[in-house]
Amino acid sequence: MSKRHSIVPPISQAGPKPPVQLSSSLTIADSAVLTGSHPIAIHGETVIHPRARIESLCGRVTIGRRCIVHERATLGAVGVSGRVTENAVTLGDYVTIEVGAAIQAGETVIGDGTTVGVQAKVGAGAVVGKHCTLTPHTEIAAGEVIPDYTVIYSNGMRRTDRRGVTELRNKAQARQIEVLRRMIPSNPAKFA
Amino acid sequence: MAPLTPYTYIQCPCSDVSPLSRSNDPNSPSTAGADDEERTFDPRAPRSNFSLYPLEYLLYCEDCHQIRCPRCVAEEIVTYYCPNCLFEVPSSNIKSEGNRCTRSCFQCPICIGPLSVASIDSQPDPNLLAAPDQAQSGTNILICSYCNWSSTEIGITFSKSNGIHAQLAKIRNGGAPRLTAKEHKEKRKEEAAQSRLAGASSPESEQNLDVETQFANLKSFYQGQLAESSSGGNGLSSLGDLGFASPNSLSRIMSIYTGGSLHDKRSRSRVGTMREALDSDEGLQLADLDESAAISKLQSEGYEATISTDQLTEQPPRLEDAHLHGRTRFTSELRPIPYLLRTKRSKRCPVCRHIISKPEAKVATTRFRIRLVAGSYIPTITIRPLNVPGGASPTSPPDALVPLQPAQFLLTFRNPIFETVKVTLATPSKTPGRFPSKVTVLCPQFEIDANTDVWDEALNKDDTDKDRRRRRGDENNNGGNGNGNGNGNGNGNQPEAGKIWERGRNWVSIVVEVVPASLRLDLLASTANLAGGEGIDAGPLREDEDILEIPMFVRVEWEVEGGGDEVGSAPGKDKEATEKRELAYWSVIGLGRVGQS
Ligand SMILES: [Zn+2]
Ligand SMILES: [Zn+2]
Ligand SMILES: [Zn+2]
Ligand SMILES: [Zn+2]
Repeated sequence: MSKRHSIVPPISQAGPKPPVQLSSSLTIADSAVLTGSHPIAIHGETVIHPRARIESLCGRVTIGRRCIVHERATLGAVGVSGRVTENAVTLGDYVTIEVGAAIQAGETVIGDGTTVGVQAKVGAGAVVGKHCTLTPHTEIAAGEVIPDYTVIYSNGMRRTDRRGVTELRNKAQARQIEVLRRMIPSNPAKFA
Repeated sequence: MAPLTPYTYIQCPCSDVSPLSRSNDPNSPSTAGADDEERTFDPRAPRSNFSLYPLEYLLYCEDCHQIRCPRCVAEEIVTYYCPNCLFEVPSSNIKSEGNRCTRSCFQCPICIGPLSVASIDSQPDPNLLAAPDQAQSGTNILICSYCNWSSTEIGITFSKSNGIHAQLAKIRNGGAPRLTAKEHKEKRKEEAAQSRLAGASSPESEQNLDVETQFANLKSFYQGQLAESSSGGNGLSSLGDLGFASPNSLSRIMSIYTGGSLHDKRSRSRVGTMREALDSDEGLQLADLDESAAISKLQSEGYEATISTDQLTEQPPRLEDAHLHGRTRFTSELRPIPYLLRTKRSKRCPVCRHIISKPEAKVATTRFRIRLVAGSYIPTITIRPLNVPGGASPTSPPDALVPLQPAQFLLTFRNPIFETVKVTLATPSKTPGRFPSKVTVLCPQFEIDANTDVWDEALNKDDTDKDRRRRRGDENNNGGNGNGNGNGNGNGNQPEAGKIWERGRNWVSIVVEVVPASLRLDLLASTANLAGGEGIDAGPLREDEDILEIPMFVRVEWEVEGGGDEVGSAPGKDKEATEKRELAYWSVIGLGRVGQS
């Protein structure tokens, strides 16, 4: 009887079970939530943390390779309009969605290598370029287009990332995924 | 408008320039007003902004028995330290090296986030990561992990990962070496020696000087000019030279207007006119007015390459650089900001010079060796609206007071000291300002029991109810304005004049009744305080004029045994006798906003 009771609330696995297309090298936690009626595709070596939430109620959700979706992040949240589009959310490769961040549905695109910070919000239809950094609590309005290598910081200030460390960051991401794979028990069968 | 939390501010006696002090007639706890008008403290006066403090901001001098505020204490610096590395900097270093951290602590020039040192060497093998020799070689940069700025953007890399401050001082933006002030001086000496040997003027006479050198050149040039012009007169002393009627002065003034002296060196030396600096040896630096480079940079890089005023003001002064002549407009000119040092300060009483606050010198501790806060000497006052059970309950208690409708508030005084204190309150019957509200303190005089052991009350809990009831009436005799409401202690829940509302171990609650003024400007004529036939100010409602603030004069009296070690005991004199202590100050009770009808 060593079972400890968790204080976190139970996971609401409400809603329809979506058709999924999961890579065999995926790491997805048992308590992640996949819900919706449209297909959800997750590509190779991506890590989905516990309690991450992916909704395909408003369209297809595609997650690229070597992405990390952290705890309580929401992909494809139903926006104000609630309109259904072909692609709700598309993430490129090497994308990091930090803890508690929310990406609204509606042809929203996050480019390769972009980091969406803790509790950041990306509005419906926004197109965030490649290798951008959205610092914590950043909010991107619906429909905004963010050029590649943009850093959004300090209540919406913008600048260009000139570090040129794309390669290093991708390597670091790969290394982090190595570690996470060992730490997060994966259960893709649950969602298939 | 945001609802207002009731507050209490206390006035420090250091601002007591007017005859506000009532210590010479303590026996008039009058709430009556008209004759007292000019002595009433006005919390709205512009001056009051600088003398009113929340209790937590105030200190207390045990020797003067007086409140001290941040404005009147004398501060002394105990320690300088870097807020980033917590390194304690000796004050001798401050003089020689300035007030910024000289280790490797920098702030991002873009977002003021902390910068960290990172190596950008492409490691051939990750197994070599832990090799200890790595710190000595390779390329290091400063990076901001928040906005992703890195020192490569201004063209600066470091060969070592430690001692960044010293390395940075030797690199200009873009990587060119930069001379420190000391090296500049040596270089100048060398050049001077060379030019003397060559017997010719320095070939670099139009060079760009750094700010420090320019100032030194200017200073020496004008000192020379001063000496020359005062001694160059016709044997007259410099004092005589200044006489307006002297021919010397006249010709000098004339030559200033005609400008002749600049061309005629002989006349200059004869007249003794000062000329201005002419070349960089004399400190003249021509401003670079050619902005084409800046314009083309703006065109190619746009708004993003420019810096904000905030970023500019955060930049440390750059004395070792040439005058930037407006080049500080671009992000490429930004420098990492060495952390400004912080201080820990001790505070002294301005009158008796005793220390009343002294922090622990060690940087990492937040403790204080001495900290005499006013909160442990004078009663705290808390305010809450009084809900009268059975009666008409206040409709909207804290958010807005209804004009012309009486409202009652409960003021709770808590005694922090180990003696029984006697409190006397005085308020004007009408608050000062354009919209006078009526104020009545139902019990302006009362005693608060000592701050005894908490357990005493807990252990005697059975008695307290009885005790409290018994005590509720006994302030009758003390009540200065007890208006003969001789009902005694009838029903326990009606506020009564001359009686305290409730009493506890070391606290007493009393009731204050206010009739908020109407804020209608058309009624001003009928309600305004027409002091001395002044005209009525019928201007629109000013900021925060709708807040009901009561100026309240608080006088606290208590007795101490001369020899005891209790608070407030003075060293000296007759140790056996009990000593009477008294503390009196103005405070302001903010009750809330008056609603606008
Ligand atoms: Zn003061
Ligand atoms: Zn430091
Ligand atoms: Zn930064
Ligand atoms: Zn003192």
